[in-house]
Amino acid sequence: MEVIILYGPYLLISGCVFGFFMAWGIGANDVANAMGTSVGAKALTLSQAILVACIFEFAGAYLAGGEVTSTIRKGIIDPVLLADSPDLLVFGMMASLLAAGTWLLIASFNGWPVSTTHSIVGAIVGFAAVGISIDSVSWSKVGSIVSSWVVSPLVAGTFSFLIFRSVQTLILNTNNPFDNAKKYVPGYMFLVGFVLSMVTLVKGLKHVGLSLNFQESLTYSLMIGVGIALVGSLFLRRIKNTRQQKGDVVFDGVERVFAVLMVFTACAMAFAHGSNDVANAVGPLAAIVSVVQSGGEIASKSIMPWWILLLGGVGIVAGLATLGYKVIETVGRNITELTPSRGFAAELAAATTVVLASGIGLPISTTHTLVGAVLGVGLARGLSAIDLGVVGKIIVSWMVTLPVGAGLSILFFFSLKGIFS
Amino acid sequence: MRSGIADIIKKSPFGPIQAHMIVSKASAEELINFLQFAIDLNWDEAVQSRKLISELENQADALKAETRGLLTKSIFLAVPREDILDLIKLADDIPNTVKDISGLMIGRQMEIPKQIAPSFLLFAKEAAAITDAAAEAVDYIDELFQFSFGGNAATKMQQLIEKLNSLENKNDHSEITLRAELFAIEKDFPPINIVFLYDIINKIGELSDRAEQVGHRISLIASR
Repeated sequence: MEVIILYGPYLLISGCVFGFFMAWGIGANDVANAMGTSVGAKALTLSQAILVACIFEFAGAYLAGGEVTSTIRKGIIDPVLLADSPDLLVFGMMASLLAAGTWLLIASFNGWPVSTTHSIVGAIVGFAAVGISIDSVSWSKVGSIVSSWVVSPLVAGTFSFLIFRSVQTLILNTNNPFDNAKKYVPGYMFLVGFVLSMVTLVKGLKHVGLSLNFQESLTYSLMIGVGIALVGSLFLRRIKNTRQQKGDVVFDGVERVFAVLMVFTACAMAFAHGSNDVANAVGPLAAIVSVVQSGGEIASKSIMPWWILLLGGVGIVAGLATLGYKVIETVGRNITELTPSRGFAAELAAATTVVLASGIGLPISTTHTLVGAVLGVGLARGLSAIDLGVVGKIIVSWMVTLPVGAGLSILFFFSLKGIFS
Repeated sequence: MRSGIADIIKKSPFGPIQAHMIVSKASAEELINFLQFAIDLNWDEAVQSRKLISELENQADALKAETRGLLTKSIFLAVPREDILDLIKLADDIPNTVKDISGLMIGRQMEIPKQIAPSFLLFAKEAAAITDAAAEAVDYIDELFQFSFGGNAATKMQQLIEKLNSLENKNDHSEITLRAELFAIEKDFPPINIVFLYDIINKIGELSDRAEQVGHRISLIASR
């Protein structure tokens, strides 16, 4: 108690710095995976991708990120058990941010495909289980989070397999793929708009002063879906069935239709990523801020101040601007094999899965979900070669991330505790 | 900084195979020049041409190695690995055979009798045309994967293969004519030279066979 009153401003400032550091890490690496596919398929230029990321990451975090933030903030550890020692919660969350941020930095520089989500969850579980007590962790919640990490790539893979199969049947394997593409692609656009708005609305927008029941949500989502499909059709009208050179890749008319669709799925991807992954930086920070501002009280019902989200958003944009654009460029250059008709299927499947997880407050890894989705397209024979060795490495890296994240956060936790008391 | 996503998706092994076929095509076309020099007894030019053929064969070997390099064990492919390995093995016989032919002819300074020269050249030109058609079919497999025109692809591929078959048919007839012409004059030349001439004809025949097999293999891959 005394610690918090005594050092309150310092704790608040360093919490913000660590949160910003974590958000920067997410922007530098994680966002790149979400946006790189669109750049690789030449659906967006690099600067367009960054613009889309800035807008939709923020929108996703603000409109649909609440559930995941609250899971990270108070779902993994039971705050009630910490009512007597709020300082431990503050130190722990600071340690977690620092641990996850550090690990992400190390992994990024070595090219290891780790997940921000796995790092932060591992870190929080680590400090709570070792630094406080085993019982302070709500293991049932952690169990469901970890199982969602296995399930989410599988779900995304199944979605993308089915979506790409439907593309093959309806469009690619027909006698007139170009006309069929123009006919059916607005349908996929509808799907993008409908799924995203449905999850966002059903989950609730009370915090922006909008309260809808299920029926209303359904109606509005249908309207938004149709609206997006109509806007998309307007863009499609301009496309002629001719080949076009973009960089060193040639696109025929069909792929150019899908490239328009991919602009929509790229927005969806950024929205989904924002709704799920921004919480990794914002959640712990929100916990710190609420404890410090209430003078040491662990209020489980407090509302998150808007500026925390802004800090997270700015951090992500800063990460994008300093390093992320380079990663997007690299990802984009290396995956030209993922043409728009494939890339959109992977993105739509991944975005849908991530947004659904956000709706029920499960922090999952966007990158791993996208990997699952890409594999789904590969299984539908949409890609000529996939490296399963890399998939194995990714699985290993997420197994390693948990103990490392936990270990680092335990280390930082005891250091902070030592410094302040 | 790198990322997992980009590392998962590998380059299509068909890229280097297509490059290989372009080299094979160039090599088969160079053979025509080489034979013309040999017919004209212009051995200086023939040696130059032989050098080019050798270079092309080296390029082809490098592309073959590149293809195999893309087929590491951990790669999951949309088409069976064995089919791709077979394809590159067949394709690689083309520049090798051209190199053999030119080497043998330079080494023995083989003269092609004037009486059979036109048929001889025609026969070789047709072999080059078959290689050309096979390269076109191999080039089309990329369209399949990049644009995946499933419905049309089968028809288009079928047309390419029909073209290949009719070229091969014509080539068989030319071979018969050529052999008959050579048979008619063979007793006027030293027997050893004649034996080697038959060998060269066999080898050119092999060239068109390989090109045809490449075409058939690629159509098989496309239809899976």
